Amino acid sequence: MSRAPCRLAALGQVSALGRVRAEVHARLAAGDATHLSLDAEIVPERSLWLGRVNEALPAIPAPLARFACRNNRLALAALESIGAEVAAAVARFGPARVGVVLGTSTSGVGDAEAAIAHRERTGVLAHEFFYDQLEFGGLARFVAEAIGARGPAYTLSTACSSGARALASARSLVAMGACDAVVSGAADSLCGLTTNGFAGLGALSAGVTNPCSANRDGLTLGEAAALFLVTGEPGGIQLLGVGDSSEAHHMSAPDPEGRGAETAMRDALADAGLAPDDVAYLNLHGTGTPQNDVMEAAAVGRVLGSDVPTSSTKPLVGHTLGAAGALEAAFCWLVLAERRGGELVLPPHVWDGARDPALAPIRLVEKGESARSGGRAVVMTNSFGFGGNNCTLVLGASDSP
Amino acid sequence: MKASLLRWAAWAPGIELPDAWRSWAAAPAPLPATGAPDAKFLPAMLRRRCTPLTRTMLSAAFGCAEPDELARLRTVFASRHGSINESIGLLLNVVRREKLSPATFSHTVHNAQAGLFSIAAGNRAASSSLAGQEDTWTAAFLEALVFLERDPREPVLVVVGDVPLADTFAPLVDEAAVPYAFAAQVGAAGTGPGVSLELGAADPARARAPWPPALEFLRWWLSDEESLEQPNRASTARWLRA
Repeated sequence: MSRAPCRLAALGQVSALGRVRAEVHARLAAGDATHLSLDAEIVPERSLWLGRVNEALPAIPAPLARFACRNNRLALAALESIGAEVAAAVARFGPARVGVVLGTSTSGVGDAEAAIAHRERTGVLAHEFFYDQLEFGGLARFVAEAIGARGPAYTLSTACSSGARALASARSLVAMGACDAVVSGAADSLCGLTTNGFAGLGALSAGVTNPCSANRDGLTLGEAAALFLVTGEPGGIQLLGVGDSSEAHHMSAPDPEGRGAETAMRDALADAGLAPDDVAYLNLHGTGTPQNDVMEAAAVGRVLGSDVPTSSTKPLVGHTLGAAGALEAAFCWLVLAERRGGELVLPPHVWDGARDPALAPIRLVEKGESARSGGRAVVMTNSFGFGGNNCTLVLGASDSP
Repeated sequence: MKASLLRWAAWAPGIELPDAWRSWAAAPAPLPATGAPDAKFLPAMLRRRCTPLTRTMLSAAFGCAEPDELARLRTVFASRHGSINESIGLLLNVVRREKLSPATFSHTVHNAQAGLFSIAAGNRAASSSLAGQEDTWTAAFLEALVFLERDPREPVLVVVGDVPLADTFAPLVDEAAVPYAFAAQVGAAGTGPGVSLELGAADPARARAPWPPALEFLRWWLSDEESLEQPNRASTARWLRA
């Protein structure tokens, strides 16, 4: 028996590539890596390339001032793009039937740094600081209040798989009848805690991340928000499959054999009722760390073989951590939404081209490459997080309803 | 929304075994504000890396499942505050422009308890970690139903817990600040004692219990009261024996 439909009915997103859909798709298709910026402040005695969102973000409305933080402003920027669709869903189904499930690894911790600094100087937190700004659960509550939804609202935080997992949970909340629509996705913001934390782990690239290269040396970090309106309607772009696993291995390094990644991909295909041959494109987790890429290539090779086109979009936007799973699902959504006549324009894999003989020979998308799909286009995205939490999503669209 | 509650365990200072919880539920009183379990069931190497919250939540988890289940069941870990107390130290490092300890950083992710559980129990099944402010217990139960919707054949091990916030942020939060954890095996409806959850309109006048919502749920579950209504931020959770 196949699953109930799960439509990703509308998408709003913002990252270093921007927030205007046509612009973001064009930059994605071109492999435009010029939107990263160099930062010499955030980590002491170090310059870092970052996928920072440089455009102006909307202000938090005054009645929601206790949620004011950069993370929620990123979420609000993404939400603005789907404001009409979300308002229509709240009106149609009623506020109690609309839920919010979002992922983040940071919530408002970046703004808490300023509050802590104030406390260091004066002995008290800044008086305008509220716990709603900082706590993980505050993100979902903020979005729920911003859209006037009163259904379940909670935040998932499983490190770098948070955003993918949120979409998986939204699908089930609709399927079980707990909600008629869910605003789901993720937001994650650059801050001193994560940049210095990854610097301490020795996980950051000296330059720009270079996934799958023999010369790869680590992450480039970024920030983003990607929010979907999820419904149980058929048609459009569907979330077809979810697979997930834990590693039982290490808090900050993946199982070198990629067993957890393999389980997540296999289970996502099985959940979608699809075969490896059906996949037209895989968006890799592709962080550019030595450990991730070797285990991911091995797992991809075992599940999909060496012919399926794959790329990491992290050289364009950075690793957006808790938002990565939702943002990369958003990029897959754009690939499907912008298909023309059965042709999918694929995001190229932007790197130095130095093949690593230690990596299984997966196929990396060249600039200008596209894929033909039959009547149905299927794409996949991988997210693997700290604590050994893996989640793979399969998205698809049919040309005929 | 119907499910089954197949097994439970809980930990608070001085109230560790099921009989102690039954006694507490028969005459509930405010819980101790300090204390953490030994968690002697964890290997010493791993235990050293566990914060008080991790030891508290893993004590409830390991008390709520047989060894083969610990290695097999899907899990939901829920905590309002998670590792925020440990993050405060890292935030001080950041504002003082000091180096951050990589081990501390990788153990303060919100899913640290889930990750360490997975390692300790050898569990490779799907796992979710969440936070839902005052509604964290309701959200944890819903997330268990999410896993059951995907596959109802095996129950889900739900673990919810917190420890009191450090002084830095404690004045900002009005709650029953006690160290505790509650674990439950939640299975599909019809596989054990039934429980149902409905979300109704919010009732701002409804008072909160003087202990965490998950333990108020446990108190009710062990009582002969037919239903329990708990205030959430934007709804009222209504629990019924089904």
